[in-house]
Amino acid sequence: MSKITRRKFLAGSVAGSAAIAMAPTKKAFGANLEGFPDGMGVLVDLTRCVGCRSCEAACNKEQKLPEPDKSFDDFSVFDERPHGEHRRPTEKTYTVVNRYDQTKTEPVYRKIQCNHCNEPACLTSCFVNAYKKTPEGAVIYNDKVCVGCRNCMIACPFNIPAFSYSSALNPIIKKCIFCYDTRLKDGQVPACVESCPQQVMLFGKRKELIRVAHARIRRSPGKYVDHLYGENEVGGTGWLYLSAVPFKEAGFNVSLPNEPIINNVKDFLAIVPMVLAIWPALFTGFHLLSTKGKSHGHGEGHSHEEQEEH
Amino acid sequence: MINSGKKLMTGLAGLLFCCLVAVSCYATDFFPETIEMNVLTDLYGGVVFDHDLHVMITEGCAVCHHHTTGTPVVDSYCAKCHADEGPVETVSCQGCHTLEPVTAQSMREQRDVYRYHDDKPDLKAAYHLSCLGCHMEFGAPAGCQDCHARTEAGDAFFRSGQFAPAGSAVGPAH
Amino acid sequence: MKKLAENGIQPHDAEMKSDGRKWSLMEKLLLGLTLDQYLQQVVRNKFNWLLALIFAIGIPLIVYRFIFGLGSVTHSSYDYPWGLLLGFGLFCMVPLSASGFMLGTSVELFGRHDFEPIERLALLNGLLGYLFAVVYLLVDLGQPWRLAYPMVYSFGPAAVLFLVGWHVATYLSVQLAEVSTAFFEWIGFRRGYEFIRKGTVGLTVAGVILSTLHQGALGALFVYAPGKVHPLWYSASFQWIHFFVSSIPAGLCMVICVSTVVIYTMKWRCDQRFIDNLDRITISLAKGAAMGLITYLFIKFLAVAHDNEWAYLTTGWGLWWLIEIGFGVILPLILLSIGIHHKNVNLCRIGALVTVLGVLLNRLNTSLITFNWHLYQEVPHILEVIISITIFAIYIMTYRFILNRLPILYQFKSRADA
Repeated sequence: MSKITRRKFLAGSVAGSAAIAMAPTKKAFGANLEGFPDGMGVLVDLTRCVGCRSCEAACNKEQKLPEPDKSFDDFSVFDERPHGEHRRPTEKTYTVVNRYDQTKTEPVYRKIQCNHCNEPACLTSCFVNAYKKTPEGAVIYNDKVCVGCRNCMIACPFNIPAFSYSSALNPIIKKCIFCYDTRLKDGQVPACVESCPQQVMLFGKRKELIRVAHARIRRSPGKYVDHLYGENEVGGTGWLYLSAVPFKEAGFNVSLPNEPIINNVKDFLAIVPMVLAIWPALFTGFHLLSTKGKSHGHGEGHSHEEQEEH
Repeated sequence: MINSGKKLMTGLAGLLFCCLVAVSCYATDFFPETIEMNVLTDLYGGVVFDHDLHVMITEGCAVCHHHTTGTPVVDSYCAKCHADEGPVETVSCQGCHTLEPVTAQSMREQRDVYRYHDDKPDLKAAYHLSCLGCHMEFGAPAGCQDCHARTEAGDAFFRSGQFAPAGSAVGPAH
Repeated sequence: MKKLAENGIQPHDAEMKSDGRKWSLMEKLLLGLTLDQYLQQVVRNKFNWLLALIFAIGIPLIVYRFIFGLGSVTHSSYDYPWGLLLGFGLFCMVPLSASGFMLGTSVELFGRHDFEPIERLALLNGLLGYLFAVVYLLVDLGQPWRLAYPMVYSFGPAAVLFLVGWHVATYLSVQLAEVSTAFFEWIGFRRGYEFIRKGTVGLTVAGVILSTLHQGALGALFVYAPGKVHPLWYSASFQWIHFFVSSIPAGLCMVICVSTVVIYTMKWRCDQRFIDNLDRITISLAKGAAMGLITYLFIKFLAVAHDNEWAYLTTGWGLWWLIEIGFGVILPLILLSIGIHHKNVNLCRIGALVTVLGVLLNRLNTSLITFNWHLYQEVPHILEVIISITIFAIYIMTYRFILNRLPILYQFKSRADA
């Protein structure tokens, strides 16, 4: 709990600093950063995924996304390497399945979408507070206030948010919202989870999913890598992954800290109120010391000549 | 659309669950030659499963039927409790695996009754996990349409066939 | 203009004409020349031809970008959401504009009135740098018409960018007020001038606060991306102070560079006070920059030690880091030190130019080159490059337009002086 208090304090002090020029409204404190106890998540068991792309098709239909470049039963997409990398979510596809070829075993397929972090970096980086972590666990955003600065794309440790660059009049951030509007808020299973023939994904409370995941690791010794990706990464994510191959081999970023991304920024945020509080006195003091006993020709019009040369 | 599909599936399921005799095989020497699996049809049609063929080519009933047929148990996890048990009443897939998608919540609600059956896949997953695992391992046909034909709704869903994106080559058979 | 000056034509530099009449606004805008004379010197200047060429290509491209969206002029990269427009336009322009608060602080707060001849140039350099950083931002933002949202409509106060936005906006106002004294003199609005002069100390203190915070905040923006920025360029604890400290030599050296350009190309506009004092001031500024650089060098290595990143120095990225430090910090430090020691103004000027380039390299390294070091390297779209150059050309033109007119390089002769 001390964490929450500290964060609230931080947000408050930063807001306070802004208040020097203009007092922000109560809305400024709306950023809800703490994890919700009953937040939902999805457990993704990569050992089950066969790369059928049904989830991609389901997402496209549910979110009314534009027509894809290729049919969803076209597996040549697995060989695509835009910029030499595997595919990633874009403004037209909120989720993608990639194939990661292995040297010793069969290829591993992995579904990528927003991981719905407990403490989302996108949310904490957004200067118009467009993002929201809902009590149901989804990280959603308000496209009516998005300015298009793309800071969230910088901040997201999973490279998830995309941006509708192609739009001239209303370009905004585009990303998976956990089917919040159409399903999650009514307690329904997200479209991708429902469409999966292999039950790669298990929907449920994050707390319970963690239990299920560890039970699977225990029950099938040697089947899984003994790690639940997302349990601790960047403060924990709503979507959790089990894998038979080391996560690095399945394209995961394994160098992420367990601390939320915002913790890195706290050092700086903490000095903000200090500078605001100390600098005025410090520099006015310097000024008084430096100019003590000297004439200072303010208000004298163009009076530089009157002042002493050092 | 998916919601309506789901309702349709549930309705169909109720109907077919009554009509289709849950394949009744009380003894290991009595089983149907073919099984029609069509309780979940929506994007794909049903599957006529050649049970005979699979009985011949698999090592034993337990490869698919866990411990329910009374034959030697293959899965060590099942064997912990059911190693020396005889056949049980229900051996069909849908006798145990639910039509409703499994969630962490549904798993929790069932846990008290079947303590060690709490991570049980739903019917659709049970079929696919059971079939596809072997098919891929032994090089048997593993494409979606190798087993069940896709419906027009399925074509629309996958944006394939007549619904393929303009300018793209029609995808390979699924 | 040089030729005109040789012909005995005096540019406008006082409230009253020599015959005691007031200058009209039109005459002021034309620098006291007739329209024909003015146009002749515009056409005669080869640099204007270059500007015209850049505008002929670039301005339609900027229009094109607003009609067809960012995707039409950039690579629409999801992995490099901030391209050259921000990597250069925001992250380079802002440190180069730190001159305003540095000189303002020296003159107004520390009483270093020996810097006064260059104070207004430094303030203007600050104002224009920020202004054009915002112009770059407006071109790069998806919805520039929503720029004011974080100010008035939807607040995200815990975000670093929120601080940057607020501080740049308020600091722009502060700088506008600081530079407005020159404008009020020029336009002949003495009461406005006096009103602003009274608030100078307050404005300057506000400038120091805001500059400390948003120069640092620009660095802190990248602290959101551990693992994306290469560890050698990333420091959770020190990123903001790296950006802040390096902005000090950057701003000072930018003033040296601009004053050098001015003294060689616009000498007619400089008054004797500026010309006589420039060499001395250049050396003094170089001293300040050298102090800043050596501090910066020290804290750069401190960060490597703090996060124990020595091992990275033996990699290719480490070599690149050493090149950046060698070329951008150590080399100018040597040049400036020798220049200061031997009172060699030109060496100081070369050192200043290298410092500016070094800071540019650091900012581009952080925002574009070492960003996503695990992934591919984004090379900015050619149209994005042209637009960046165009905006920079507009910046130069605006800079020159103001220097030509307002009493920045010369002291305005008010009625009392005449």
